Formats: sequence, C-alpha cells, structure tokens
Amino acid sequence: MSTLELRGLGARYGKKPVLHGLDVSVGDGEFFVLLGPSGAGKTTTLKCVAGLVDRADGSVVIGGRDMTGVEPYERNVAMAFESYALYPQKTVADNLASPLRSGRLGTWTEAERAARIEAVTTTLGIDHLRERLPKELSNGQRQRTALGRVLVRPADVYLLDEPLSHLDAKLRATMRAELRRLGEFSRTTTVYVTHDYQEALALGDRIGVLRDGRLVQVGTPAELWDAPHDTFVARSLGQPEMNLLPARADGGVATTAGGLAVGVDTNVSGPVELGVRPRDLTVTAGEARPEGFRVRGRVELAERLGRSVELSVRTEASGGGPGDTLIAVTDDPDVRERTAVTLSTEHSRVHVFAGSDPGAYAHRVGSARPRTDTEGEQR
Amino acid sequence: MATRERRPGSRRFSPAAAGADLLLVLWFAFSLFPILWMILLSLKTQAEQTSTYFRFTPTLENYTTVLSAEGERITSVDFTGALFTSLVTSLGAVALSLVIGVPAAYAAGRWAYRGSGDVMFTILSFRFAPELMVIVPLFIIYNQLGLFDTAFGTIWVLQLVTLPLIVWILRSYFQDLPEELEQAALLDGYTRTRAFLTVALPLVRPGIAASALLAFIFAWNNYVFPLILTGSENPTVTVAVTRFLGGGGQAYYNLTAAAALLAALPPLLVALSIQRYLVRGLSFGAVKS
Repeated sequence: MSTLELRGLGARYGKKPVLHGLDVSVGDGEFFVLLGPSGAGKTTTLKCVAGLVDRADGSVVIGGRDMTGVEPYERNVAMAFESYALYPQKTVADNLASPLRSGRLGTWTEAERAARIEAVTTTLGIDHLRERLPKELSNGQRQRTALGRVLVRPADVYLLDEPLSHLDAKLRATMRAELRRLGEFSRTTTVYVTHDYQEALALGDRIGVLRDGRLVQVGTPAELWDAPHDTFVARSLGQPEMNLLPARADGGVATTAGGLAVGVDTNVSGPVELGVRPRDLTVTAGEARPEGFRVRGRVELAERLGRSVELSVRTEASGGGPGDTLIAVTDDPDVRERTAVTLSTEHSRVHVFAGSDPGAYAHRVGSARPRTDTEGEQR
Repeated sequence: MATRERRPGSRRFSPAAAGADLLLVLWFAFSLFPILWMILLSLKTQAEQTSTYFRFTPTLENYTTVLSAEGERITSVDFTGALFTSLVTSLGAVALSLVIGVPAAYAAGRWAYRGSGDVMFTILSFRFAPELMVIVPLFIIYNQLGLFDTAFGTIWVLQLVTLPLIVWILRSYFQDLPEELEQAALLDGYTRTRAFLTVALPLVRPGIAASALLAFIFAWNNYVFPLILTGSENPTVTVAVTRFLGGGGQAYYNLTAAAALLAALPPLLVALSIQRYLVRGLSFGAVKS
C-alpha cells in the first residue's frame, strides 16, 4: 500500500517522444484510470512505473521513495499485461505461484501458496482450470489468469493494462462489477489503463485522460463528465458522442452556421464550438418547456437500438441558416422519421468551447446561458 | 448417379505431371548415383577397384581393413582413433559454442547497442569468409601456441564453424519470444539472470536442439581446418579418410570409400533420428507466427 507520484515522466521510442512530462499524484489505495486512444502512451506510462522502460525522463515515486534506477524486481509493483504474458510452459497454478516462489516478495510455505492460489482462482472463476496450460485457455480465461497473477501477491501498486479488453461484452460487464467488489483493489493503489470510457467512469476514483503523451485532464468521473477540459475529452466520454456545432460568438450570442443561436458569456467572442450530449437532450413532440435551451427540428433518421432510439434531427432553418444536424436519444418508441420535434435541455448542459485553432481541440470556457438580447426571447 | 469422392493424393493422369515425375526420378538417380557408386566401390577388392563393371564378388574386407592395424600401417593414422577425435572435437565445439553462443544470441536478440550490428556481422562473416583465407596465419599461431595437432586446438578453431550458426539461429528464436514474458518475470521478483534462465531459456529449447545438431554436423564434416591444423596425433575422421588415397603412392579407392561411408554414418544417424524435429526447429525460428 503506497502512494504513487509521477514527476515530469517522459519517454521516447527511438527518437520520437511518446510521453511529454506527465505529472500526477495517486493517493494511497486510490483506483486511478488512465483513459485514452491507442498510441496515447498508456502502456508506456505503466511500464515506466514498473521500471521496464530504459532511459525514461523524470521520476516515479512510490511510497515516497524515488524509484529512479531501481530495478523492476525491487519496486514491488504487480502488472497485468495486455498480452497476458503468461508463461506458456507453466500451468495456471504455476503461473500464479511464480511471484510467490521468487522469494523476493515474502516467504510462503507450500501450503500457504496453495491456499492463496485457490482463493484467488476461486474469486476469478478459474479454479477449475488450475492444471491447464495457457494455450488450453480461451482469451477471457487467459486474461483472468493474468489478473490472478497480480492479485495473488501483495504489492505497493497494481498496474492493469486493459485487463478486460479481450472479454466478450457480457463477461466484461460482469467482470467490471467484480473488479469493483474485489477487496484487493480497494486496498491497493491501482493504475488501470483502458480505452473504454464506460470502464473508466464505472471503476475510477479519478480518471486521467491521455492524448499524444500528455495528460489532458485529471479528475473524478463526475468532473470529467460535467466539465470536460476540451472537445477531445468531451468526445471521449459518452456514446453517441457529444454533438459539436461550430459557431461564432459575438456580443453574448453564439450563432452556428446553421442559424442556431444561444446566449454565451459576453467576453467570449470569435469562433467557438457548442457541445450537447445526445442523452442530455429531451425530445418532445410539440412545444417544450419554455425555459432553458430548446430548438425545433425534424427527424431525419431514427435508429432503433433496443430500448432507446437514436435520432438524427435537422434543426429548423432560422436566421437565414440552413439548419444544423443534432443527434439525440429518446426512449419514446413512437418517434418516426420526418416528424417535427423539439429538443431541449438546461443551459448548463450546453458546453461552450472556444479558441478553435484549426486542427486543435477547443477548450471549454463555460456553458450556455439565457440570451440577454431581445431577439432571443421572441420564440 | 453417385459421384465418387476423390481421395487426396489420387490424381488423374496428365502428360505434364508424368513428365515432372520423370524429371524427379532422373534427378534422384543423378544425385544418388555417387553414393551408390561409393557403396559398390567399398565392397570391391583391391584388384577390381578401378573396374566399372557392376559384376564383382562383394566383400566386407575393406571395412575390417580400415578399422584394423592393417589400415593404420597403410595410412600411419589410427582410423578408430580419428573417429573418436572427431566425436570429441565436434561435441566439444558444439558445447563450447552453446556456452558462449546462447547468452550472445539472447543479448543480440534483445538489445541494440552501439556497434551491435557490426558484432553480429563479424560473427556471421566467419561463415562466409573462405577458410583458406585465414588458414596460414592460424597455422603459424597454432604452432607458436602449441595448439597444433591437439583436440583442444581443433575445438577452438571449429568455433568459426559452430558459433555463427548457433548465434544466428538462436537470435531469431529469442527475437520471436515476447519481451513481456521476461518483464513479467522481473515484476514477479526475479532478477534479469533468473528471468533469462527460468523463462526465456526453456522456451527456446527446440531452437537450441536444432542449432546444436546442425552445428554438430557442420563441425564433423569440416575438412580444411583439421587438414592444416592437425598432424598424425589427433587428425579428425575427415582427414583420416583421405589418407587412404595415398599421397603419391598406392591409392586405395576401395578403402577410401569404406572409410568415407563409416565417417558419414554418425552425422547421418543424427540427422535421420531427429529429422522431423530438425525441420520444425529450424523453421520455427524463421517464420513469424
């Protein structure tokens, strides 16, 4: 049990830098999730913590001890590799026994080892596979064995690299719930790498969003959801992705290319992007509640996805604009294509991102607000 | 009408296929004929050794002559002793190459450092550089160091044959092994040495077996090095065989054939007994899965 601190952690692959000075501090027993697309540097970060990357810059501090120059086998961290890295010539039980036999992590008698392995394999539901070789296991079973090799031993920090990625969707949901319940994870500082935002939101005490070797935002799931730092974080969380409409802000009003106008802070001006999550939009057939953000439109496409229906709504042309396309989600099965609907939400749910250099992600500057100019009150 | 399923292997007659088969048979006859000739020659008497007839009275006398004191009188070299020397030097050369070569191949497969490519190329160059190019300086060095005509000297020089083979074959084996296996061992609390010994090494065992057997055959068959660097005390079997050709005196072709066949037996037995293993082991390292 220990705290973990990364101070200016950098790494390069050949001459190409893959991590640009990460600074983050993970508390004792915290479950920290690193979220990012492939190639963002998530695995490299874990390997730096484990001491498996030569010539990393900056420092890794575990339990107050600077680990620079400390060999991996003396760091007391456990890692589950995305490739499982199970010893192919050893059975499941022997794979799990490996850290207990090294003698560096404590001493166990044969009976204690057997009891420990039995407990962990039973928890993970692989107790009937103990005498199998890794090649005789399915991918999901291999992944659980890799997880077992981590859980079986005491460690200051657990490092988990996409431990659920190769499971089928149903098992993944079950295991996600299981992981949360495992006492080991609530007691041990854990860094968990994933590209799945649902895993991140469900498991993380805090989440760090990684993009191109940089931490874009670190915060609790609620913080990331309610106030994403930029459009990258905003689109990383949630499915369908957040609607983003390019707009131009001037005098407290932002107007999209399609003619949709909302009130914004008066000191915001120039190109902005307006973001609304599809699930935040309430779909109503007639008029909507008078306050808040609302827009009328026509359903162009309705995709029925089980219980919910995903709508593609063309907003009414207004102010000379051709209208915008917004994605919304409703539970109402009666919404048909080409019907008129009103989309509405609270102003606080409409995010305003500013400073859109071409190719860069716009930063969140706040949310929309009621319009203060006269024109806005006419509808 | 019921159709009959064609069995695998059965095929319709076609002129092209028949022609290909004929060519194959011709090729086999062409390449196997020298061996057949040698077997026949080894069964002929001294008087018949230059006859090209296939009609003769077969005798095993040549084999007993080669292995007896009579053979030693002709060549002034003990043939069974040479067989033993070849066994000792070939096995010794392979063993020494394994001790040096397995860690070298691991290092070469895992780490690139400044000049690592040059080191590997130098090791490989032992294989393709003509042996005769280095034989004169080696001869002088061996004479001065007292390594001439010693079993140890032969083992030493055979490293030029066996080491590159073992290092290059095993390097590709180690490269095919995921690095994360050893990383997992490091995190399990094992040192780098123990990770190498307990995780990496057992997984390349097929490669070690295949490359060691191949190296053994190459070492056994080597002729130029022992020809120059050994005398009458510790010649290898390849050198001893040619002694029956008689330097300038009477040439015993029938004895030479018998000796050559005897000398070819050990590598042949090794190759046959592990043939499937050898092919699999050699191709495993080369093909990415």
